[in-house]
Amino acid sequence: VTTAVISQIDQSLADRLAEIVGARRVLYRPSELLTYSSDGLPSYHKQPALAVFPGTRDEVVAVVRELAARDVPFVPRGAGTGLSGGALADGVVLIGLNRLTRILSIDVENQLAVVEPGVVNVALTRAVAQHGLHYAPDPSSQAACTIGGNIAENAGGPHCLKYGVTTNHVLALTVVLPSGDVVTLGNAAGEQPGYDLVGAFVGSEGCFGIALDATVRLSKNPEAVRTLLADFMSLEAAARAVSAIIATGIVPAALEMIDQPTIQAVEASIYAAGYPTDAAAALLIEVDGALAGIERDVDAIEAICRANEARSVRIARNEAERTKLWQGRKKAFGAMGRLAPHLVIQDAVVPRTRLPQVLEEIDRIGRANGVRICNVFHAGDGNLHPNIPYDAANADETRRVHVAMKEIMGACVAAGGTITGEHGVGIDKLPYMDLVFSDDSLAAMCSLRDVFDPDRRANPGKAIPIHSCREWYLSPAARASL
Amino acid sequence: VTDAADSSALNRVRESIRDAIRDASAAGRPLRLCGRGAWMDAGRPAPASDLLELGGYTGIVEYVPGDLTITVRGGTTLGEIRDATAAHDQWLPLDPFGDDDGSIGATVATASSGPLATFFGTPRDLVLGLEFVSGTGAIARGGGRVVKNVAGFDLTRLMIGSWGTLGAITEATLRLYARPEADASFAIGIDGGGVERVRALMRQVPFKTYACEILNAALAARIGLPAATTALVRLGGNHEAVATQRQAFAELGTPVDVDSAIWKKLRGVEPEGASVVRLSDLPTAVAAVWAAAARVPNVLVHASPARGVVRVIGDASLDIAALRDGQCAMVAERLSAAQWEQVPGLEGALPSRIKRAFDPRNVLNPGILGVEA
Repeated sequence: VTTAVISQIDQSLADRLAEIVGARRVLYRPSELLTYSSDGLPSYHKQPALAVFPGTRDEVVAVVRELAARDVPFVPRGAGTGLSGGALADGVVLIGLNRLTRILSIDVENQLAVVEPGVVNVALTRAVAQHGLHYAPDPSSQAACTIGGNIAENAGGPHCLKYGVTTNHVLALTVVLPSGDVVTLGNAAGEQPGYDLVGAFVGSEGCFGIALDATVRLSKNPEAVRTLLADFMSLEAAARAVSAIIATGIVPAALEMIDQPTIQAVEASIYAAGYPTDAAAALLIEVDGALAGIERDVDAIEAICRANEARSVRIARNEAERTKLWQGRKKAFGAMGRLAPHLVIQDAVVPRTRLPQVLEEIDRIGRANGVRICNVFHAGDGNLHPNIPYDAANADETRRVHVAMKEIMGACVAAGGTITGEHGVGIDKLPYMDLVFSDDSLAAMCSLRDVFDPDRRANPGKAIPIHSCREWYLSPAARASL
Repeated sequence: VTDAADSSALNRVRESIRDAIRDASAAGRPLRLCGRGAWMDAGRPAPASDLLELGGYTGIVEYVPGDLTITVRGGTTLGEIRDATAAHDQWLPLDPFGDDDGSIGATVATASSGPLATFFGTPRDLVLGLEFVSGTGAIARGGGRVVKNVAGFDLTRLMIGSWGTLGAITEATLRLYARPEADASFAIGIDGGGVERVRALMRQVPFKTYACEILNAALAARIGLPAATTALVRLGGNHEAVATQRQAFAELGTPVDVDSAIWKKLRGVEPEGASVVRLSDLPTAVAAVWAAAARVPNVLVHASPARGVVRVIGDASLDIAALRDGQCAMVAERLSAAQWEQVPGLEGALPSRIKRAFDPRNVLNPGILGVEA
């Protein structure tokens, strides 16, 4: 143990944790910890002092209790696919939950599953597919990300436009609080008197405790699915089509926009989906549900796209074509790796009618700062993802990227939006929190955190800005003496 | 949207709400929060003699129809929201029991919903952001005005259903929907054992109904239907979809079209002074919960099989202990003082800690939710 900021993280802690989880499951050599020094955002690096990987629920509880007894801060981590730096541990203990991969029960008739936090998102959908069911939240990282991480971040995905985000699909949780106490929140039947503790916990970014199991809702697979690709000669026309589709009252299962720089990156990669590389923007639109009536919705959407100057509208003829169209969208972040070694990804949300204006402003900001911006995002709910590929070794480019990021965030907030729609605040968006929340609102959020974690040891320094983050790295006793 | 003169008057109303809570907190003098005053007998008896009226802080703050969201002050009634949105062929699909004269603040604070929750969910799914005045008089916000938002801890969901014990809701941003092309309602007479058949049908069909409530014979008769156990169904979507969906229900019996005003009658059916509880269980258990509730004499009962909810409307003689005698969870809405004594308070340390964090002097609706301060 060499990099510990806190003196309590010492050999005796490592030895004690090894007794709980086995020596192989406690890492403290810097070379072993390197893997855990970043998440899905390659621009942040923080190394934990020690990483521990419990294999059972009892081991998680025992580890958390040991840390509580020694007053040691910790960061829970799922698959580390997050896009906010939220799962980084800076000199504290990292608790990896990715070994808790059991699906504990599936109730087909009531459309429920109980899962451990390390279950991979798509693994749950695969496990229930034979029953005609799926787990609806589908972040782009669904092949790797875990349900526990999804709960911490209140993850979304393309299909949350119609089906809702993670919080709409979690009914009950068993949680170990940072104190080591185990509590049950919510109820599988979905209703119980009192405060919505499940609602408070989902999206708490690892600051309220660790979910030991989650009871989640399963959705019926739609009887019919239609996937359309419409391409446009201007971003503005595509954005107008989005607003017009939303205004009809048809709720598409997904409504995604992909701009030209992104299309070109995707088409040049192994994820090539056949998007037209000369289009200014493409909309990937999916409608699903009962077969009866679906063609009328498809026809209405096609007519709207054409009325808004779509150059062509293509409908996937079979499942293979559909999968290919989606592959390009879901792997777009990966395809950006071809453009530059580093990438910043923003996640602001704006009111849907403001999309044309905000996209124009983002374009202006990109040009003014000499940075390349690729937009690939959930247009149907106004959730932007401006991506800026860059080379962090180039100090001038890095500076310009950060200026552009800040300006984009300001433009989105000025349009009545918010700073993050699904990626979470983590450390990446901490500097922007007071753009959208007053001191009193942030204080109220802090007091909610203190309900779950009065010692402030869970995921220190994340989610809510505090004037000096330094105190998070001290023990509560040391903090009290400040 | 209100003009400048109105808005400065409204700002004063908001400040007076904040000042009243600050003063109450400083003096340790409890307040009973009140929206439009329609449901003052809901919740546990709260020992607070001072009324804090929130119904005067009213009106639309922002409504951009193309965004399908609306921001309103807490005292705005459901009827005002209904009228403003109907002008753009939109609606807030939230139909709590009572009538549209209730305020959005009270509806959200009590997490009230009605039959449409089958499709559109509850306030938890429809509220995007809230402003509230906490028990210390701080004005705080959770969420925002956009449809997707994970910035900050979820104060919005914490406030929904907190019954005014953590703060007074002064503003809400709500998700709206466009009115469907077709919105059809029909009734089907079923026998008492039909509850499970309705549940199984809803589990099997490839669509969701807007609403599907099963009514006991007494309740059916009360709203003008034949006095028999009845499935009351509401479907929405395009004409083709609705026609096909209606066919699927013919398997249960002959659908008889009813005017959509029937839903308003159902919402308004409970008499003043009624005792009302909701029993909640997994959908597969609903038939058993229903059967037990339907055996109670002189009650009106309706159930939503897909949501696993059975709602029982009785009077002061309703035996709460007997109703709770099962695996199901119970949420009491309105009861007599004697009946409330049969209902245990909230368990665990977290609710009390939350209450103390947001209302340290215990001045907001003390005791109404059964949380120990």
